[in-house]
Amino acid sequence: MKTKRQVQKEATRLHILETAYQIYAEEGFSATTNQIAKAASVSHGTIFVHFPTVENLIVCLLDDFNAEINGQLHGLSEKNEQLETFLEAHINVLIRYEAFYKRLISEVNSLPQEAKFVFINMQSIVSFHFNQVIERCKNEKTVKEIPMHIIFNSWLGLVHYYLTNSYLFTEGSVLTEYKEELICNFIKLIEK
Amino acid sequence: MKNCIACGMPMKKESDFAMGDPQKDYCVYCARPDGSMQSFEEKKQGLINFTIKTQGLEKSVAEKAVANMMSKLPAWQEYFKK
Ligand SMILES: [Zn+2]
Repeated sequence: MKTKRQVQKEATRLHILETAYQIYAEEGFSATTNQIAKAASVSHGTIFVHFPTVENLIVCLLDDFNAEINGQLHGLSEKNEQLETFLEAHINVLIRYEAFYKRLISEVNSLPQEAKFVFINMQSIVSFHFNQVIERCKNEKTVKEIPMHIIFNSWLGLVHYYLTNSYLFTEGSVLTEYKEELICNFIKLIEK
Repeated sequence: MKNCIACGMPMKKESDFAMGDPQKDYCVYCARPDGSMQSFEEKKQGLINFTIKTQGLEKSVAEKAVANMMSKLPAWQEYFKK
């Protein structure tokens, strides 16, 4: 059994992570640990008790984010699902974290090396489900013979373009507003 | 809900587990045809190939990303001891 102290320590850790998530979503990853400490109502030193470096904080945050995406995408993906259902599930998961994800894809190139690998692994979770659907479509000859990575990168490229340039399209949630258009036209591009 | 100790995939349906057996700690994708769990080298190679195939990554990038992922999974801790 965990001691009261351990439980409290974990609660503080989680609270810092949740606050960091909010601050990074609002301000981007250049937000300081001072800002996070203030918003979380903890002392600056407390952050470093739990996360020795800023890099460690970002990596832990992204690890948790991956676990969340993994759980949700797995929950939404079904065996024998249609391409459209999968793409919709992917976008629906992203809509839930839209502000944070938008920051992440805009700034990932300037994040620490390890954070970049965590980001790649996040996309691996998506490509795992996507690949299963596409393999089946290829067997049924309903999609063109395009290499999997081109299909995947084209989809991500499309979604990421709308996200990072959302100001061109709407003031609200670009994924919510353009979901149907993106999905149905992407399918038209790759279907036979 | 359990997560596969070898790849991290959530396992909720019976069919997610190796041999369809919810007692197992690893998933259907981490099992060999005889039901035993893949070795570190087998899993690593499989994940690298998969990452290259589905994301088009350069080999050395895929290797590093896979090492980062495996280092966080319970099944492979002994391979990453400093
Ligand atoms: Zn597995």
